Amino acid sequence: MSWKQTAAQLHVRGLTPLLTLLVLCAFTALATDRFLSPLNLTNILVQSSIMAVIALGMTFVIIGGGFDLSVGSTVALSGCIAALVMVKAGLVLGIVAGIAAGVLVGLLNGVVIALLGVNPFITTLGTMVLVRGVVFLITAGAPVGDEGLPSSFVAFGSERFLGIHYLVWVPAVLLVLLSWVMHNTPHGRRIYAVGGGRDASYLSGIPVQRVIASTYVWCGTLAGIAGVMLAARLQSGQPTAGEFYELTAIAAVVLGGAALHGGEGTLYKSVIGVFIMVVLGNSLNLLNVDSYWQRVAVGAVIIAAAAADRLRWRR
Amino acid sequence: MTEPAARASGITKRFGATAALDDVSFDVMPGEIHALVGENGAGKSTLIRILGGVHGPDRGEIYVDGQACHFSSPREAIAAGIATIPQELRLVPALSIAENMALGDLPMRKRLGFAVGLDRARMRREARETLRVLDFAPDPDCPVRQLPFGERQLVAIGKALRRRCRVLILDEPTAALESHEIKRLFGVLGRMREQGVAIIYISHRLDEIVSLADRCTILRDGRVVAVSRRGEFDVAALVQAMTGRIGHDIHTETPSLGDTLLEETQSREDGMRLRAGEVVGLAGLLGSGKGRVLRRLFGVEAEPARVLIKGAPKRLSNPSHAVAAGIGMVPGERGLGLIMNQSVRDNILLASLDRFASRKGFDRSAADRTVTTLMELLDIRPRRAELKVSALSGGNQQKVILAKWLAREVDILLLDDPTQGVDVAAKAQIHALVRDFAKRGGGVLLGSSDLGELARLCGTVVALHRGRICARMERTDGLSEQKLLRAIGG
Repeated sequence: MSWKQTAAQLHVRGLTPLLTLLVLCAFTALATDRFLSPLNLTNILVQSSIMAVIALGMTFVIIGGGFDLSVGSTVALSGCIAALVMVKAGLVLGIVAGIAAGVLVGLLNGVVIALLGVNPFITTLGTMVLVRGVVFLITAGAPVGDEGLPSSFVAFGSERFLGIHYLVWVPAVLLVLLSWVMHNTPHGRRIYAVGGGRDASYLSGIPVQRVIASTYVWCGTLAGIAGVMLAARLQSGQPTAGEFYELTAIAAVVLGGAALHGGEGTLYKSVIGVFIMVVLGNSLNLLNVDSYWQRVAVGAVIIAAAAADRLRWRR
Repeated sequence: MTEPAARASGITKRFGATAALDDVSFDVMPGEIHALVGENGAGKSTLIRILGGVHGPDRGEIYVDGQACHFSSPREAIAAGIATIPQELRLVPALSIAENMALGDLPMRKRLGFAVGLDRARMRREARETLRVLDFAPDPDCPVRQLPFGERQLVAIGKALRRRCRVLILDEPTAALESHEIKRLFGVLGRMREQGVAIIYISHRLDEIVSLADRCTILRDGRVVAVSRRGEFDVAALVQAMTGRIGHDIHTETPSLGDTLLEETQSREDGMRLRAGEVVGLAGLLGSGKGRVLRRLFGVEAEPARVLIKGAPKRLSNPSHAVAAGIGMVPGERGLGLIMNQSVRDNILLASLDRFASRKGFDRSAADRTVTTLMELLDIRPRRAELKVSALSGGNQQKVILAKWLAREVDILLLDDPTQGVDVAAKAQIHALVRDFAKRGGGVLLGSSDLGELARLCGTVVALHRGRICARMERTDGLSEQKLLRAIGG
């Protein structure tokens, strides 16, 4: 089999994202000696964990044919609200309030996009700015809960269970759970249907608006969970947290093979996409690439992923 | 002896393991209408795509006016004078008639040898002159989106003429036309024939071909099985050559009718009533409102339908209400019924996801059993549930839409031109399915622009004119195409 046929075969089986990740890891492992050290690998896992949770939510929206730019701001909002409430009312209420904030942002996006029919790009661009504004309003621009966060919460952000960070367990458990939802419930199948053909789904009796709105609620909820995780890791609510997370998440989902026009995508592959983004950053760091050049490289990867998406669908 | 305007010689084209065309030769003379017929998958589309420069042949040559041509893109074929008018017209709805016709070759105003802007006056003049040849005199500034389909088609033909095309390929041009528009199109084609344009005409409506074509080439399984001249072929002979068997119509016994399944409760001029075991036909010209009746009963129109379903009052303001009430619809546009880049399996299950939901999640094996049974029952080919629907032929796609509603076990089917652009064999299968559905106690409301289809399938045909029922005819009193044609006032 020629090289080209092999590549085509791997592509058909949907193994391109995994292969990209493996090649990237192999290259970095050969080029540097620190990549495979336990400390570095743990770092990669922890760094990926929060982005993976966001990317899972983003996958719901993108499979449903939409787009969500507001996740970065939602991460900051959830983290700050969790920290604020936790200091006053304790651990559990803090976590619940943080996630609830995410649900609300998702609900707002969903209602405006699905029921009012406003373009998702504009809507979530609006909520991105709006939510960030709210974060600065409630925190007065300063970090929240520097001191006084419950010690168990701080521990959640740094300690391990069975040798693996708590933060890494969260996306692992969510991935299993949500994959089941996506593939084994009518709700999950409906998201694929609506993303693949909105009119055909509508004319098959599927409540299209509700399904689309639900994808944004999923996305907001998961961004809320990610926000709480980040607050635990940073041991505070940071009003500037989560900037550019939306772009990284979208890039990861597309690198994972989801179609930007909806109807196609797989949750675990989006997580692989997250690893590609994180390992790329890690690799550039280890290779001592200038941080300005790193930005250029990451931007180029995002464009390349989108271009690959186009080429894939042209055939 | 004059040269053929276009000639394909010994064309072979394979897609993967299947030969779409196998050593096919075909030619069309200037001033000739040459029909190309065959079932879906016979190779007609592949042949016209090769002539139109979309695909290159694996073997064989294309000649235009005796010159060998190798097209590497549709652009080159157009430059050589071969224009294709596809079923879905490639016009920009928001642009005007004149702009659409000039697109791709916009005339510029020049000052001192520099292009300084669009020459709109010339665009309008050229559009008017070209369309006059087609006996069509619209305002050239009118946006294409405001035109009915038949006139858009004339614009597309005009666009090809403006580019001085010598070979015009029409793919199912009458599929979406009403009878008076068809008459007009045939007039246009006749005039183009007189001017020496070579016309390649593809249609499933064999009666059209018998009356229109000078010559007819019949394809089956990628090979030419017959070429015959005008007068040498009739509909029965074409069917036999296309399918390899003798064409015949199954005649139905009048089914026994059961209880009322659906009845509109508001008094209106196009109110419907449907009983179990009944196939009610809707006949009417474009704008008669037959599509609107079907859409209203499926909850797609702005104004909700108020109905009694098996005696229970329902308000249908949304397709999900209609589906919950046991109604399924096959829309007039196939793309609206299917999610093209998803699998046959997912499409069949589209409307019944909740039926296979159990407490343990989605019951995959029960769903798969249903899909397999339905694919067998409807003879959906190939029998591969994981194949994307877009890879299927038109007839099979239509069967997938029907399978979707059978999976849901609906009681009422609303069909909007279900056999439009479907080959003879698939059409017969769809007809058999409709009869069988009614026999098992279902009710069918069938809107169709094919009057023969209505006459054959329906117990009752309701004729509509401008949103009003203008006649109601029963099978017991005799139904015929001529009678229906008179009723709809064509």
